[in-house]
Amino acid sequence: MKKINSLACMVAALLTAGTVQAGNVSLFGPWLGPDQENVEAVLDGYAKSTGNTYSYVGSDSFEQQVRIDSEAGSAANVSIFPQPGLAADFAKLGFLTPLASGTGDWIRDNYAAGQSWVDLGTYAGPGGQDNLYGFFYKVDVKSLVWYNPENFEDAGYSVPGTMEELKALNDKIVADGSTPWCIGLGSGGATGWPATDWVEDLMLRTQPPAVYDHWVSNEMKFNDPRVVAAIEEFGAFARNEAYVAGGSGAVSTTDFRDSPKGLFSSPAQCYMHRQASFIPAFFPEGTVVGEDADFFYFPAYANKDLGSPVLGAGTVFVITNDSPDAHGLIEYLQSTEAHEIWMARKGFLTPHKGVDTSVFSDPTLKKMNDILLGATTFRFDGSDLMPGGVGAGSFWTGMVDYADGKSAQSVADAIQASWDALK
Amino acid sequence: MNNLVGHKSSLRWAVHISVAVLVVLWLIPTLGLLVSSFRTADQISTSGWWQALVTTEQNVIMRTAKPQDQQIIDGKYVIEGMLFSSKKSPEILAWGVSSIAIDDYIPGETAKLRKGGEISLRGDGYYHMVSDKPFKGSRGTRVFVKASMPPEFTLDNYRNVLFDPANVSGMAKAFLSTLTVAIPATIIPILIAAFAAYALAWMQFPGRALLVAFIVGLLVVPLQMALIPLLKLHMQIGIGKGFLGVWLAHTGFGLPLAIYLLRNYMVGLPKDIIENSRIDGATDFQIFMKIILPLSFPALAAFSIFQFLWTWNDLLVAKVFLFDSSGQTVVMTAKLVELLGSKGGNWEILATSAFVSIVVPLIVFFTLQKYLVRGLLTGSVK
Repeated sequence: MKKINSLACMVAALLTAGTVQAGNVSLFGPWLGPDQENVEAVLDGYAKSTGNTYSYVGSDSFEQQVRIDSEAGSAANVSIFPQPGLAADFAKLGFLTPLASGTGDWIRDNYAAGQSWVDLGTYAGPGGQDNLYGFFYKVDVKSLVWYNPENFEDAGYSVPGTMEELKALNDKIVADGSTPWCIGLGSGGATGWPATDWVEDLMLRTQPPAVYDHWVSNEMKFNDPRVVAAIEEFGAFARNEAYVAGGSGAVSTTDFRDSPKGLFSSPAQCYMHRQASFIPAFFPEGTVVGEDADFFYFPAYANKDLGSPVLGAGTVFVITNDSPDAHGLIEYLQSTEAHEIWMARKGFLTPHKGVDTSVFSDPTLKKMNDILLGATTFRFDGSDLMPGGVGAGSFWTGMVDYADGKSAQSVADAIQASWDALK
Repeated sequence: MNNLVGHKSSLRWAVHISVAVLVVLWLIPTLGLLVSSFRTADQISTSGWWQALVTTEQNVIMRTAKPQDQQIIDGKYVIEGMLFSSKKSPEILAWGVSSIAIDDYIPGETAKLRKGGEISLRGDGYYHMVSDKPFKGSRGTRVFVKASMPPEFTLDNYRNVLFDPANVSGMAKAFLSTLTVAIPATIIPILIAAFAAYALAWMQFPGRALLVAFIVGLLVVPLQMALIPLLKLHMQIGIGKGFLGVWLAHTGFGLPLAIYLLRNYMVGLPKDIIENSRIDGATDFQIFMKIILPLSFPALAAFSIFQFLWTWNDLLVAKVFLFDSSGQTVVMTAKLVELLGSKGGNWEILATSAFVSIVVPLIVFFTLQKYLVRGLLTGSVK
């Protein structure tokens, strides 16, 4: 009997250990490692200002887990989606709670290009009526070209200001016997996504923003000649044997995390690398952004009169398990303090117009934020807005097929067919 | 004559050699992982692990001391020092000062610097920069070196995974959580399955064969199909997420194989003993406890190895049924994934943590392995 008693005690102890108090607000997001420390610093600020407690859990398989938890009814109060397209799916299924009224007006007033952020966070609910579900916080700029300034100096190259100059630089580098670009599409199960950013960026540089919007919503078919032209524009970089380190055959097999290392090797494998603002995390150890590595805006055509479009992405906070404190957290994220805490750390950009940009931890972040604030057109990463089956499926695999030698037309046809199948 | 019992076949050597080749082939990835776990991230991404074992010719970029360290000697500005900080200095074969001409000079020569002044470099890495004007800038000059580098290994990865103060409490907690998951999740299904297997093997009741067939059928159900409905059920009946839920899930997913394996083993036990004890008046429970269980020990041990390894290495079931929003119940596998970072680029951590997490399964395996082979044959060879 004694044995059974002590066993029961042990079991009870273990069970209670499993149900540790989760705090007033629970959050679930995709950030791990250093990013987790950053978001927890912001949440500490929330805890301090409200007296509430929080718990944050990060996961590398966020997309799958949030679906399981929402289906089973065990979701955290607030979930942080990296893809608004996925959040829209969840809104339609009734897993999300609309944000407090007035949030939309606040975004319109305080975010640069406010209306576009409201639109990106507004989805159709289960009944079909539109509501504001998502609050954007933390933005990435994607239209960046990374380079090694000392290598540019050694070879006597200068940073191109227009797409025409960039193309001239490509040819000049090849004529000098080197290779201009490092391009890598490999990313495990997500292989191909870096190419979708290329195509989106080139779409914005060859077509007006309205055409881009129609493409993303599929009002314009994916196999429209204008899209095919943008894919071929990407091919002009990636499928030119002389332009890519390792030859065009290496594009789809090189991991995107290893690809930028070619900028810093000896001899340099390439001179330029187009990638979003997060990529310095994968530079060799000890690389100082601003000295060893720098970036310039992926330039627009001078003769097309489309302004300077910027492609970006961002994370959106949604309420997956309604509670007053969850709304309180969203409200806290509207304070300048919530933005400035992370600005003073690393890898954070914000469209919030009211923040003090002098708190940025290094000048390169400020330079990036200036690109963001100086954009004449800001468009969100199209593949994140398309339905999951396309934006995180056939678009990725299609771009791998294209990099491996299929024709742009047949790839675009196949992607459109997969989109039709989802309707 | 060749086929006589006891005569050694002439193919014996072929068998031995092919076994040796297969074992080596099988171990190569593990060896690569082991070597990689002692290398830095930059080394892993720039050269293969097989190159790490021997001295290789490599191109590296080094920097001289910063201009703030310059001295004035005889009216000239001088910066001097050693390129390599380690004692085992690599031998320099060629060098250069521009990224477009990285091997223009041999050791002992002097090169002109683009920004004024000149630099000379010796074969052992000693450099000497001279200029009439002061050196400017915040960084040292880049020197491109082609050198034969001796193998270089580091324990930093292990230090990082095991002893980094930022990780260590989390790792210890994760280790305990994993044990808390794995041990009951191994014992519970064995207990249930042993009873069930005895009933299905030695007790007469209608529909027994059908029941066995049904359990064998359950073996082919992929557990992914059951994740959401099962979690829904757990939420509805109030178990929620936590250790109880993950034990129940592992038990459920492990039972079909456990019952099938143990039943096949028990069916093969000699009928006479069991019938004798029945005649002597033993109840089914006594037969089970006194005869069947001791005789089935190899099968029980074999299954417990399977189940323990599976629950120890499991990430999926733990992620679905265990991790609640408190973030306090993280298992080892999840902790290791976390160390990989948001975008999963830290291969050196992956290699190292693979070897850290392998330790407990190895201990379990070697303590129970003599039963494994016997257990593996359960039911297949009579």
